[in-house]
Amino acid sequence: MTLQLINISRRVKRNWIIRNLNLEVGDGECIALLGPSGCGKSSTLRIIAGLDKPTEGQLLINGKLVNNISPVDRRVGMVFQSYALFPHLSVAQNLSLGLKVRGDSLTKQKEKVSSILSIMQLDEYSERLPIQLSGGQRQRVALARALLRDPYVYLLDEPMSNLDAQLREELRPELRRLILSGDQPVVYVTHDQHEAMAMANRIAVLNNGTLEQIGTPEELYKKPSSLFVARFIGRPQINILRSSTNIIKAIRPEDIQIKAEGIRCRLLQKEWLGINQLIYLESPKGHIKVICDSRKSFSDSIYVDWDESNEHHFDAYTNKRLN
Amino acid sequence: MKKKKIFVIILLTWSLIPFIWQIYTSFSTPDSLLEPFFSLKHKWTIQNYLQVIQADPPFFRYLLNSFIVGVLSTILTLVFAIPASYSLSKAPKSIATTTKLFLLTSSLFPYVLLFLSLLEIARSLNLGNSLVALSIPYSALSMPLALLLLSTSFSDLPIDIDEAAKIEGLDIWQRLRLVLLPLIKPSIASTAIIIFLFSWNEYPIALTWISKPNLITLPVAVARIAGSSIYSVPYGAYAAATVLGAIPLIIIVLVFQKQIISGLTQGAVKG
Repeated sequence: MTLQLINISRRVKRNWIIRNLNLEVGDGECIALLGPSGCGKSSTLRIIAGLDKPTEGQLLINGKLVNNISPVDRRVGMVFQSYALFPHLSVAQNLSLGLKVRGDSLTKQKEKVSSILSIMQLDEYSERLPIQLSGGQRQRVALARALLRDPYVYLLDEPMSNLDAQLREELRPELRRLILSGDQPVVYVTHDQHEAMAMANRIAVLNNGTLEQIGTPEELYKKPSSLFVARFIGRPQINILRSSTNIIKAIRPEDIQIKAEGIRCRLLQKEWLGINQLIYLESPKGHIKVICDSRKSFSDSIYVDWDESNEHHFDAYTNKRLN
Repeated sequence: MKKKKIFVIILLTWSLIPFIWQIYTSFSTPDSLLEPFFSLKHKWTIQNYLQVIQADPPFFRYLLNSFIVGVLSTILTLVFAIPASYSLSKAPKSIATTTKLFLLTSSLFPYVLLFLSLLEIARSLNLGNSLVALSIPYSALSMPLALLLLSTSFSDLPIDIDEAAKIEGLDIWQRLRLVLLPLIKPSIASTAIIIFLFSWNEYPIALTWISKPNLITLPVAVARIAGSSIYSVPYGAYAAATVLGAIPLIIIVLVFQKQIISGLTQGAVKG
């Protein structure tokens, strides 16, 4: 199964929310739409779901044009950021409602609902109302509902942003097992680059409604095509070095080594993180962050150096990659 | 705490005294109402009630008529107002605001000014002396308020829920029936009560559209009782009729109390 966006644009009044977006999601592939809030990633998802209409462009699911197919018949499975469970229905009713209107018999509904409830480990909650569930349980119900839709495409809108960090980590393998193992294309919207890198085969970075770069997490990390992508991918954020030319040079904190000699810096602050430590330095080229071994201890002045081949160069006017 | 209690007692007294007075009057003999120190022996009577109930047609006939018109106009209004208010809540902001402004203006319009032209319409379309026909103007007059109340509660629902239902494959009627209406039940209940109350209390249109004695509605009937004699006002019978006429309303409000209160406070809490 495939999903194709061809030159998709959407305009609201005079503002282009999305501009000429081209995207192809293959069989069983997961693409993360990544970007700051307001970059158009949720709008893209809504266009794929049919909740919003594109102003221009074509949307193809399994090679078939679906621009004019209503969301009711489009057969996509969507997990909303708010989960959007039906508050007046129990967990079991939430799951069977869609099956019922799509024409499954009562026995079939029961069968499907109880099997998905046991997959999701929600059996004992089937009679509860959404309000009586925890955030993680609600998320699982929303996921179960999307799975029961038996969709051509999965759409996940910030599915974990309402959960705490620990729960997110627990749910990631589960999400991968349930949704990403199928042959449906998955579009995963997130503003968390860490989550995008962990979940997606490819990441599409959006900025102001246009596609900045699309590629595997590794490609984006190693060869960001613009300064925007370089800053968005990788934590701690890439260091931008002060420069007198038209070339912006940037270097990732993990590519900087502490040496006996090199560029002399003054230690400003440090954060001890267990596996490593993050130190903030004042260098002749501006403030820089360096990731290093957590066992090291420092005096006030530190010498650093890096391999020039690890530098990323960008044009100062277009912000595009040069090397 | 104590201050609050006193305040509540004052409020209750203020709103209940007329009603209590009415009950008191309905059980008093006509003479005792006119003399301050009437002997207690001849003071209390159920004669007023008997008089009202045993009249021809019996008083329950009017209650039934009013009830029929009330139910019909409530249903008629809701049948149109629910889909209309849903689409109003989904309309582009500029259209919705203009429409709501029109609705607000027309709901504030003193409808009494309309009754002559309504009478003309009834005459030319032969709608007189029919309880079904009477529910049409009632429904039309309640429509603006019903639309405003219901569209507000539709807009208060999180949009995600409607969209999730769409993606689940529910068409518009299934969404209304299975998801949206159950969620706005409280405001449907309070809107229904408001329509029913209007229809129950309405006087000028009922007076002019219905002339057959066995079809008249409660307010007209009560007015007839009050004006039945040129020489005296039958206070007792009149009071008995109003008490009987209030009972069904009190029952309805008690039954739907929970929904009405949550419906009326809904918008206020969510903001």
